[in-house]
Amino acid sequence: MKARVLDRSDVLKITDLLRQRGYEVIAPVGGRGRDTFFDTVTNQNRNQIQIHLPNPYYPPKRYVFPPLERLMKAERSNGDLRIEPTFDLQKRAIFGIRSCDVAGIYHLDRFYLGREFPDIYYQSHRKNLFLVNVACTDPELDIGEECFCMCTDTGPAARDHFDLQLFDLRVPDLPSVDTGNEFLVVAGTPAGEALFANPIFRKAKSEHVARRRAILEKVRKSFKPNTTSWFSAAIQSVSRGEIRDETWDEIGNRCLECGGCTYVCPACTCFTVTDRPLESGGVERLRVWDSCALSGFTRMAGGFNPRRAVHDRRNRRFFRKLAHYFIERELSMACVGCGRCAAVCHGDIGMPSVVETIRRSAALGKEA
Amino acid sequence: MNPSLIEHAPPETSVPEVIENVYLPKVAVLDRVVNEIKEVNTFVWHFEDAGEQRAFKRFLPGQFAQVSLFGVGEFPTSLPPSPTEDETFFTVRQVGSCTSALHALKPGDKFAVRGPYGNGFPMEEYSGKNLVFVAGGIGLIPLRSAIVCALANREHYGRIQIFHGAKTPDELMYVPKLHEWERTPGVECHLTVDRTNNDHAASPWTGNVGVVGSLFKKPGVKVPVENTVAFVCGPPIMFRFVIQDLLAMGFQERNIVSTLERYMKCGVGKCGHCCIGVAYVCVDGPVFTYEQIKKLGEDI
Repeated sequence: MKARVLDRSDVLKITDLLRQRGYEVIAPVGGRGRDTFFDTVTNQNRNQIQIHLPNPYYPPKRYVFPPLERLMKAERSNGDLRIEPTFDLQKRAIFGIRSCDVAGIYHLDRFYLGREFPDIYYQSHRKNLFLVNVACTDPELDIGEECFCMCTDTGPAARDHFDLQLFDLRVPDLPSVDTGNEFLVVAGTPAGEALFANPIFRKAKSEHVARRRAILEKVRKSFKPNTTSWFSAAIQSVSRGEIRDETWDEIGNRCLECGGCTYVCPACTCFTVTDRPLESGGVERLRVWDSCALSGFTRMAGGFNPRRAVHDRRNRRFFRKLAHYFIERELSMACVGCGRCAAVCHGDIGMPSVVETIRRSAALGKEA
Repeated sequence: MNPSLIEHAPPETSVPEVIENVYLPKVAVLDRVVNEIKEVNTFVWHFEDAGEQRAFKRFLPGQFAQVSLFGVGEFPTSLPPSPTEDETFFTVRQVGSCTSALHALKPGDKFAVRGPYGNGFPMEEYSGKNLVFVAGGIGLIPLRSAIVCALANREHYGRIQIFHGAKTPDELMYVPKLHEWERTPGVECHLTVDRTNNDHAASPWTGNVGVVGSLFKKPGVKVPVENTVAFVCGPPIMFRFVIQDLLAMGFQERNIVSTLERYMKCGVGKCGHCCIGVAYVCVDGPVFTYEQIKKLGEDI
């Protein structure tokens, strides 16, 4: 991978370069505190882009897998039926995507494109997508209470699957050297490397790389150490079917069936399909995000629902994410350690607390 | 939930440049409608495009298709015809909004179909074996394909037995076909009903009365157990009792096969609705052995 350095004052110029190349650039903006979101960059809001900020609750997943996507249109005339697929071919760049969300998009790549029946709608977004990852280096702003990318090995700095990665070389309490007002930029793809032709990028020196390493080492220590150190043990227990029914019940009993965890998850993939009438008299077919936490998810025509109890559904989601079978099936894990499920769950059964519940139950099981 | 029971193909590491749009159904024309029993009709149809029709005809018994009624939705349904037959058709009970929309169609009307999907019955693997088909009610729909296919390749199989039960004589499925099988040499076809309706029937029922499992014990019936595959399809309660009977007879769990139905949106392993345990019913199934079904951990 090629590396360059960039002055702090030039960082946002990357969004300009991408917009000049025809990309709709999406970047995180927000005010104080937790009120952050991804928005399309315009001349008006360009200066509101924040490099360091709490990761928005809504993941940028929607730019490759929209909450509502038009699949096709069907028109009838004189007894004939015509079906036309519809595609969104807009080039998009996500500037400031966090490492966990880069891993989330990689998981979607594996899920939608990595098996039989690759998904053409996902591909149409993905092949037009450019990712500018920002490594999480600010312990106050970037790293939240719920973050556990250390356990899923997806952060704080992604190792691959981005086009460009920006790494802020300024950290308040590391001895300041003259690299403190610069960013180290790494290209992960030829498309990313092509941007290095612009004069804002300068050659990186070994001290830049050394400083990156020193900062990363320090940042790694700012994660809550106990969050989910038991992640791999949980995967093992789930995969071997060692979780006791009482443990699944305990988790299920705390689920309020809001579906929130699935809607903020950067790696959840489920959808439903629905038809809606068009003004022209035709019909459009849409796919819409769906959630396995909702009771109608498996209900069939006629009313039979094979998955009845709430803990069946709750378990479904965690089983799907933690079972080794699925990790192997997609060569990628459906949890990227972003912690959003933990942040939004009313019942405190986000992934970290589920892993903790499993750990506690395993410990109790051994005592018994 | 034992993952090792479901084998999956290794994941692809590269994505092909050109991807087929698997969600795009192709236009089909309804040729005629045959009423089977109350609220269950057979819809004979063909693809508007002859090439599509030829491609579709490569389906296997036990596979399924997605039927689109634009404006209402899409639903998965079994393929009751055998690939060895000329016509393509669905047999569908009117139960929800999509199936009602299909029932409202008239010959000549256009709808859309995509598929075939799923694994299907491994009919070639069963070569040399005895085949026992046990169908309760409309459970005969998915088994019809395998039965007709087996009979078209009669020399490949040992004994072939068909057990079909319905609530009343009026609810026996594919009656002309049943009569044909009853007359076919080398096929044992046994029918039963839970109760007769002789009080108001034009021709009284003189056959067996009782659940489908009662046929196994009828004098003169000998179900082969060794080197036999049992196909079981029907309502959940029938399924449970037939499985008990078969296991008691000495059938191995892996020699009992069935097809599962689940709520499905995509049919291609993406939407997530049909996933049970480690299996996506649409791509890993819908055909599973009882050994697999037992470990998936959901109601049938």
